[in-house]
Amino acid sequence: MTMAAASRELPLVPAPPRSSLAAQVGAAERRHLWRMLALLAPSVLFTALFFAAPLALFMFRSVDNPEIPGHLPRTAAVMQGWSGEGEPNEAAFTALAADLRAIRETPALGLIGRRLNYALPGFRGLLTRTARRLPAEDAGSVKAAFLAIDQKWRDPAVWGVLHQQSGRLTSFYLLTALDLEKSPEGEIRQVAPEQRIFIDLYGRTLTVSLGVTALCLLIAYPVAAVMARAGPRAASWMLMLVLVPFWTSLLVRSTAWVILLQNEGLVNKSLIALGLIDKPLPLIFNRAGVFIAMVHVLLPYAILPIYSVMKGISGNHLRAAASLGAPPLRVFRTVYLPLTLPGVVAGGTLVFVLSVGFYVTPALVGGPGDQMIGYFIAYFTNSAVNWGLASALGAFLLLVVALIYLALGKLVGFDRLRVR
Amino acid sequence: MKIAAKATIAIALTLALAGLGGQGAAAETLTVVTQGGQPGDVQRKTVFEPFTAETGTAIRLDTFNQELARIRTQVETGNLVWDAVSLNPINEAAGCEEGLLEKIDWSKHADAKAFEAVGGFGACGAPYLASPGALVYDSAKLTGDAAPKNWADFWNVAKFPGKRALMYQPDQTLEIALMADGVAPADVVKVLTGPGGVDRAFKKLAEIKQHVKWWKSGDESMQLLLTGEVAMGYGWLGRVNAANASNNRKLRIVWNAGYTNALIYFGVMKGSPRKEAAIKLIAYQLSAPVQARHMEQLGNPPANTAANPLLSEARRAALPDPASRDGMMQAGSTYINFWLDNGDAIRQRFATFVAQ
Repeated sequence: MTMAAASRELPLVPAPPRSSLAAQVGAAERRHLWRMLALLAPSVLFTALFFAAPLALFMFRSVDNPEIPGHLPRTAAVMQGWSGEGEPNEAAFTALAADLRAIRETPALGLIGRRLNYALPGFRGLLTRTARRLPAEDAGSVKAAFLAIDQKWRDPAVWGVLHQQSGRLTSFYLLTALDLEKSPEGEIRQVAPEQRIFIDLYGRTLTVSLGVTALCLLIAYPVAAVMARAGPRAASWMLMLVLVPFWTSLLVRSTAWVILLQNEGLVNKSLIALGLIDKPLPLIFNRAGVFIAMVHVLLPYAILPIYSVMKGISGNHLRAAASLGAPPLRVFRTVYLPLTLPGVVAGGTLVFVLSVGFYVTPALVGGPGDQMIGYFIAYFTNSAVNWGLASALGAFLLLVVALIYLALGKLVGFDRLRVR
Repeated sequence: MKIAAKATIAIALTLALAGLGGQGAAAETLTVVTQGGQPGDVQRKTVFEPFTAETGTAIRLDTFNQELARIRTQVETGNLVWDAVSLNPINEAAGCEEGLLEKIDWSKHADAKAFEAVGGFGACGAPYLASPGALVYDSAKLTGDAAPKNWADFWNVAKFPGKRALMYQPDQTLEIALMADGVAPADVVKVLTGPGGVDRAFKKLAEIKQHVKWWKSGDESMQLLLTGEVAMGYGWLGRVNAANASNNRKLRIVWNAGYTNALIYFGVMKGSPRKEAAIKLIAYQLSAPVQARHMEQLGNPPANTAANPLLSEARRAALPDPASRDGMMQAGSTYINFWLDNGDAIRQRFATFVAQ
């Protein structure tokens, strides 16, 4: 009796005061949020550490200018205070002499020579020559001593470079990546015609990428449509066929195209044997080769997103349209195509972004007129060791891709750019 | 409990073994970097493996394509993976100047006199082989009057029809263009580095540009010739030998048209903890008997001239005559400084020129 009464008095869950219900829900939601954040933390940390931070560091490299203020501190200080007009005074020469004496036996001289040589070819030689012959102590006019070693020290271009490159940050690499330079007077102008290269390269990279994207979509759309309508057995076989080249090394695939497409390759030999052509078609080491090989490499990236979207489209829509009297072309245009568009946009974006960064394939199957910007980024990173310029080229490439993405987002809606 | 104990023991053992293995390897193994490929295999069999057999020092091989950045990142981060590196003349000079290589007086480790003919030792590196590049054609396809005799013939597309293969790099190619323009091989450095030299070379290249297939690797240069894609080309001796041997073909080099000759150096990475062992290996590579054994197989001229008499008669006959003045040495401070100062600008101009 008492027990029953007691149990009636004691609720299973202590009834909270009404006012704290909101607080409890809030607390539960906070706990949920923390749990979610804790689960997300590894990926957020990973992204920050291995994606965002290197990207930011690499972008910074394109304006970073540590060499001159670091290794020629006295000269940099004098240059910062100089107007840049006329010939520099004795103080500038004295500062440079002191700086050169401090680094002449060290690797810093080589590094600074390389850095200044980017801005003015020949500066490296001038600097090492001068450092080697400079007397141990200044006697009389330092300027005269410099001019006795090399008359080039009279050249306003030499001092213009020292003046412009003495700051902690520099616009040099960004300008160079756009085929621009600063004159000794500080005006921004185009570089000499025979040195203009990067604007053309960006144009070529974008043209090739757009062409590859268009070709990929044209080929991928019908393939995906057939796959989506095929029976499960046939579809899985076709999926296999699409995926096998996907799993093969890029290098192997590109090299295989060289073997197939060369003058005495299988393709040309067969065409000649069939009597379709009398002399071999130029299919490799030119733009045609680049298109063939890149479309082949990137095709799965176009097929898979389109296929996955098509797979989700119910046949009822099409049947409904047909039953209402629409001819097949109209069904396709007004029903099927709009429904598959998200897949097309996603596949196209994927292919375009990937092809913009291509360089191994064009290097292997293209001619010298088909090299893309990636080739030069790799060249400036690995061989020329001009990391500032490599970063600037990469930064502009990133910018161009971002702008295209934004424009596309505005055009078709950002939700459609997602790869499902 | 039992499983945990066993696991602990297993982990401890693994760590101990890994530690021992690591230390053992650190004391015994030199990491040597060359360009790899078929020439790398020859070098491994004729130089590195005998060295290991004689001294007990194991050698681990890596390959690189003269990307100076890979040396710089190791030295700057202090995380040295390599000990001895095979370098082209420009990288030997640049790496030395920028403190990426150890400064070594090689005359203490090899007979300096025997290296005078190739210009002596570098401040950091020692030359161990010469790599000549010359006019090459397929003597099975072009015979008699149809065969080119000099670089002027190479440029004469009307009389000698067909495509030409040249290297997709300005160094060597500009030199060849000057030879085609009538500059004697011995004067090429003077003309190229003098006023208007680069313009003259580009102007000459423009004459033939539309008939040129540009190659980017030694393999490609030979493939173009072997498949008949080009009628004649510029190619390196080592590659020609390999192509003839492995395909049983008759590619022929026209030495007296004038040829370029680059030295390949060995240098030691700055701060290598195995510097002494690396020097020992390089000194071994420089010695006349090893040079002869190596070059007999590779077919390149030895850098050590004392190795010349040790080569077989047949091998010597296939080398350019050292007494002739047809070779243009890609060496000397004028030449190296010219490329260090102007290389970037010329390469940029070259890329623009070729793409147009």
